Amino acid sequence: MQARLIHLMDLKTLRAVVDCLIPPDDFAGAYEAGVCDYLARLFQTDMVEQRDFFSAGIEAIDAEATLRFNGPFAALTPDQQTLILQAIESGDVASAWVIPPQRFFEMLVHTTAEGYYSDPQQGGNRGSTSWVMTGFEERAES
Amino acid sequence: MNDYDAIIVGSGAGGGIVACVLAEAGHRVLLLERGSALSFSDVGRDHLRNQRLSIYGHNAGPEITGNPRVFVDPHGRSRVVSPHELDYHNNAACVGGGTRVYGAQAWRFHPDDFQMATKYGVPDGSSLADWPITYKTLEPFYERAEWELGAAGDGSAISDQIPRQRNYPMPAVPASPQTEALAKGAKQLGWVMSPVPLLINTEEYQGRAACVQCKYCVGFACPSDAKNGTQNTVIPRALATGNCELQTNALVERIDVDERGSITGITYLIDASGTSGTGQRQAARSRVVIVSAGAIESARLLLNSRSSFHPRGLGNEYDIVGRNLQGHLYPRAYGLSSTKVFNGVGPGVTIATTQFNHDNTGIIGGGMLADDFIKPPIDFWYDSLPPDLSRWGSANKKFMRDNFTRVMHIRGPVQDIPNPEGRVTVESDVRDKWGIPVARLSGTTHSATVEAAEFMRERGEEWLRASGCERVWSAQPGLILSGRQHQAGTCRMGKDPKTSVTDEWGRVHAHDNLFVVDGSLHVTNGGFNPVLTIMALAFRSADHIARILR
Repeated sequence: MQARLIHLMDLKTLRAVVDCLIPPDDFAGAYEAGVCDYLARLFQTDMVEQRDFFSAGIEAIDAEATLRFNGPFAALTPDQQTLILQAIESGDVASAWVIPPQRFFEMLVHTTAEGYYSDPQQGGNRGSTSWVMTGFEERAES
Repeated sequence: MNDYDAIIVGSGAGGGIVACVLAEAGHRVLLLERGSALSFSDVGRDHLRNQRLSIYGHNAGPEITGNPRVFVDPHGRSRVVSPHELDYHNNAACVGGGTRVYGAQAWRFHPDDFQMATKYGVPDGSSLADWPITYKTLEPFYERAEWELGAAGDGSAISDQIPRQRNYPMPAVPASPQTEALAKGAKQLGWVMSPVPLLINTEEYQGRAACVQCKYCVGFACPSDAKNGTQNTVIPRALATGNCELQTNALVERIDVDERGSITGITYLIDASGTSGTGQRQAARSRVVIVSAGAIESARLLLNSRSSFHPRGLGNEYDIVGRNLQGHLYPRAYGLSSTKVFNGVGPGVTIATTQFNHDNTGIIGGGMLADDFIKPPIDFWYDSLPPDLSRWGSANKKFMRDNFTRVMHIRGPVQDIPNPEGRVTVESDVRDKWGIPVARLSGTTHSATVEAAEFMRERGEEWLRASGCERVWSAQPGLILSGRQHQAGTCRMGKDPKTSVTDEWGRVHAHDNLFVVDGSLHVTNGGFNPVLTIMALAFRSADHIARILR
């Protein structure tokens, strides 16, 4: 499922980004919970018309990271990663963006939350991890 | 030569009941539904594509493609919208209509809800008016809806405000930890409170099972078929008589008239595939036609039924059809409890206050406040987080982890103060898959509605604080077009043909045999979920139509 999305954007970057949005602790982070699988499916189906916009945003995150901290997003420290995402969220970007950074960031945050908190049939929330974490379900569904 | 005694357009809360009453009275009925009959698995449990949260689609019709509408925003900019977008103001299109996937709150309107203009006067710019009937006239039909479909509640709770002759057939849903906290708060504030009445079986009723307390009421279908819509109560009764033919996937294009301008029947299109728009036009003739397609589609059908006799559409000599579109603004309040209040037991909505439905200083109307149906976590994430919480990072995850089970939810429908500019017209430049002009929605509610919503938002916060929440937050939607699943008012009843579309029976003025029976009739929409009122009116109109057909 991820293959076609990887084709369009760097999975290492996407993985680091979603894990910065929903970090791992004693419950799975976004990547481990399958959020990248969710996004891969979403941007081939309901959001296919937004796929280029979304991959442009992921590319721009790396450009922003390289300009500010001399490395791709995935190679930065957690504090540096947070600074980058905060800058994009507030629209205070240093590199040239071909798409509106804040609109991209909202889409990124929303779709990541959808992958993490919606039903596992969508590709994310593997093992109902977020439902157990929140208490929506007492235990993972078999 | 008539094919049927009655043709009914739409199988929702109104049309399903009319079909049952007429078929059981021995009349030949054609019941047309533009959607399909949906099984439990057809509706499914997709958390992002359902009638409560419709981000990428929904689960109960109409199809996302081929059924556009036009929405005009408050700045006058228009755009084409799809059924899953908020601005489409969708209600489910399937057998049972909205009742297939509703939350099933079974409120009667308050007696004062029928006398709004007398009680409050008519604010500038509004079309506030009294109903042509009183609560007392409708009361026996409320009782009939509660017993024939099956409602659960406590009839003694607010019977001094909203009188009743008979209790509900089933006891109210059980209390939860949230109920106990909120009951304590209401008691401390001296507010009247009531269990929330629901059209849900709390025990076996009419041969169907009791609620299994799952977490998926509103927006979804019921796994034990304990939620009572028209699709599992009155429509099966209608079909059992052998007098009612149900035709699904049938969109009515127009109501037909003869060479003298009298109603003869309808022209409709059947689409078995659901999306192709390649079906054949068919005509059916009947002695009466009953339009029960919901406040938006009923108005669209009347407006699209133009002829040389009725150049502005049927019932529209005075340009009233489609006006006064209303629904409910919903203020919402949230409070963080120090203890867990979520116990995973559905439906989740348990306790309400009707303290503020009327007689609030400086406010026209008001509304009911209640706790809420259980929210799936993604719904909670979108709807219920404090505004000052970051939407990402450790803090967001920690809030979801620590507080999903500790947030108390209050919301409620605010009595809409109608105005003629909130309206449905038809848009010839945009067509559906059949080539039929679509509904165009424009205007907003009246500013008095927003004032009431703000007042109710504050009452929600007050209730949560009194119930032990230290951290409280809230929201209300502002000056927008209401409508959505509580859509109403577009063919209002009245005595004067110049200011109303139908008489008190739903008969369109100037026609002997054309009726509207759905939320379109509501002169005002109460400070309550409107479905039981739609049902009560449907029983009353259906009795009347059965007498005419005799």
